[in-house]
Amino acid sequence: MAANTITGDFNINAEVDVESIEASARKARMQGIKRLVRYTLLKLVALVFTVAVGVYITIVVANMGGAVDKIRLGTIRESVALAATADPAFKTMNSEQRVAYINSRVDLEIKRYGLDRPFLVRSFEYLWDGMTLNFGFSQQLVSDSGSRLVRNILLERLPSTLLLFGSANLILFFVALFAGLSLSRRYGSMADKVVLALAPTSAAPAWFYGLFLILIFAAMLKVLPFGGMVSAPPPDNPVDYLLSLLNHMILPMAAWLISAIFLTAYNWRTFFLIYSSEDYVEMAKAKGLSDRMIERRYILRPTLPNIITSFALLLITLWTGAIIFETVFNWPGIGQLYYRAIGAFDTPVIVANVVLYAYLLALTVFVLDFVYALVDPRVRVGDGGRK
Amino acid sequence: MEQKNELVLKVRNLRLYFNTRGGPVQAVDGVDFDLRKNEATVIIGESGCGKSSLAKAILRLLPRNAGIYDGEIWLHDQNIMTLDKEAYRKEIRWKRISMVPQAAMNALNPVMKIGDQVAEPAMIHMNMNNEEATKAAVRMLEHVGVPIDFLHRYSFELSGGMRQRSALAMALVTLPDVVILDEPTSALDVLTQASIMNLMKRMKHELETAFILITHDIATSSELADNVAVMYAGQVVEVGDARRFFTQPLHPYSHALMASVPRLREVVEPEFISGQPPSLLNPPTGCRFKDRCPKRFDKCDEEPPTILYDVDRKVKCWLYV
Repeated sequence: MAANTITGDFNINAEVDVESIEASARKARMQGIKRLVRYTLLKLVALVFTVAVGVYITIVVANMGGAVDKIRLGTIRESVALAATADPAFKTMNSEQRVAYINSRVDLEIKRYGLDRPFLVRSFEYLWDGMTLNFGFSQQLVSDSGSRLVRNILLERLPSTLLLFGSANLILFFVALFAGLSLSRRYGSMADKVVLALAPTSAAPAWFYGLFLILIFAAMLKVLPFGGMVSAPPPDNPVDYLLSLLNHMILPMAAWLISAIFLTAYNWRTFFLIYSSEDYVEMAKAKGLSDRMIERRYILRPTLPNIITSFALLLITLWTGAIIFETVFNWPGIGQLYYRAIGAFDTPVIVANVVLYAYLLALTVFVLDFVYALVDPRVRVGDGGRK
Repeated sequence: MEQKNELVLKVRNLRLYFNTRGGPVQAVDGVDFDLRKNEATVIIGESGCGKSSLAKAILRLLPRNAGIYDGEIWLHDQNIMTLDKEAYRKEIRWKRISMVPQAAMNALNPVMKIGDQVAEPAMIHMNMNNEEATKAAVRMLEHVGVPIDFLHRYSFELSGGMRQRSALAMALVTLPDVVILDEPTSALDVLTQASIMNLMKRMKHELETAFILITHDIATSSELADNVAVMYAGQVVEVGDARRFFTQPLHPYSHALMASVPRLREVVEPEFISGQPPSLLNPPTGCRFKDRCPKRFDKCDEEPPTILYDVDRKVKCWLYV
């Protein structure tokens, strides 16, 4: 082979400065980490700020920019006056004493509710309370542990929601990814056409398919539970508990998958096809790489950022269906709680739930942004430009 | 006459047709040319004449709609057309024939570091481990003038010239017998073009490699060329020694091409070639240039033979019979 011959001044065995390679690698790694950290922090600040602005706007709107204070003042005055008439001592007072008595009680109430301070100041206190899910006590609902603290009610149900949607979305992501890849490998095939034909099924929400799945597998075939998270009473043995949990997760996850998989797989298959026609894929072929390597390094890797963006958008829309979805499957998560809170007009729980959903949405975006930065070096640079 | 270099690549009657709705497109139709060690053969032709398809045909990079694909490609004394797909991938691609693509901007993977991309072929085809391959990549990158710092950068962090140099290093890292340069400088500014051309000239002498330069840029190609093949409508109409081609082209199309190049020290107005090249879908019978040819005569309606002119020049034209 020609590899051993030396012509001109190129020496195949020339000494290479390993030291400087390593130095350059170190430098590049440090720079990469620095960029990643900076990018992540910026994203985090931006997202927290976004949630804060959203919550603050809700507060201002709900208080009609402070106009609600007038209504509350009126209500306080009325209830104080009503309470005073029931007081036997009140009957013996003359009119001046009565006015002074009522005014002092009203002032006390105003202080108690903090209405003596300007709305602007209080709005930021509300914001802090809202952001920390500090909504005081619920009006109707009680947590399973017996607490009436809104925060406890919510946080108790958060893990089951995260468990269901986390695993369902993870499975959705990987199934769609591999389905998309394999469809792009043989586009125009029968499987490709079938997926295209089924893509419109994603127009219906997951709970819609859930109803049918429950009907078929729980009511008719009686092989899977109707809903809930574990069988009642919950098994004591952790292994049995886990098996029961998995058994209860099959139908909701299947419904979630069916509702999104066809459109997503078709969508991503198109991404892969677009990126398969890039020049560097042709170059990789010319380089004599195996098909698997080309697919992994030259098609999957460069397409991944787009896939993640598309997935983030998908999740944002899917979150909105979570409320009915959990109710249909009787899943003890925050969606079901939200549904119940609306039914019971439990305002603190409803508002706190909205804030929690805002957090979940922000968290979803944040995680996907972080992954995006990991897979796409162009994002980390920030200015996107050349050096 | 000086001693001729060893013959590296011999292409005979190579055909590549694409199937389209309108019928087969004869992108490469019976192409013959030779390539010798340490030499460069320039394939000249206008857009759409099948130059890039020729490059793809040599590397067997066939699109899905490829139809007829036959002929002979002799690499040293092996007809590589007879190899099966897997053997071709392992034995020929990049190990013995590599290429520098048209736009290096798009030819480098945007999410892989330059060093990894240059080292990749060495790892696959030369059984090197990561460390050895990186060393080989560094040697070649430094040889083509890419600083060691760029090893860990991404293609979008490089200038156009540096990208093209990296692509060249990637093509040379396995020290292949043949490097196909598909319009390697057409996306660059004039200064960078010149430095890349000089670099390739140096590489041609220093490495045991033969170049196939595919270009429409006659002026810059003359820098590198030892042999010239002129392509027109999927066929090679003239092939021969570069120096004599540039001073005295034979085929009327070559004449017209040379006349269209602006001259530096002569006051000659560049001329253009009237008309359009024929469609490769249904090329005319006989000579494909006849409709635009100023020297057309009756014979041109028949397929012209390839005539040996002097000792080492061939021309496909009835004028030289």
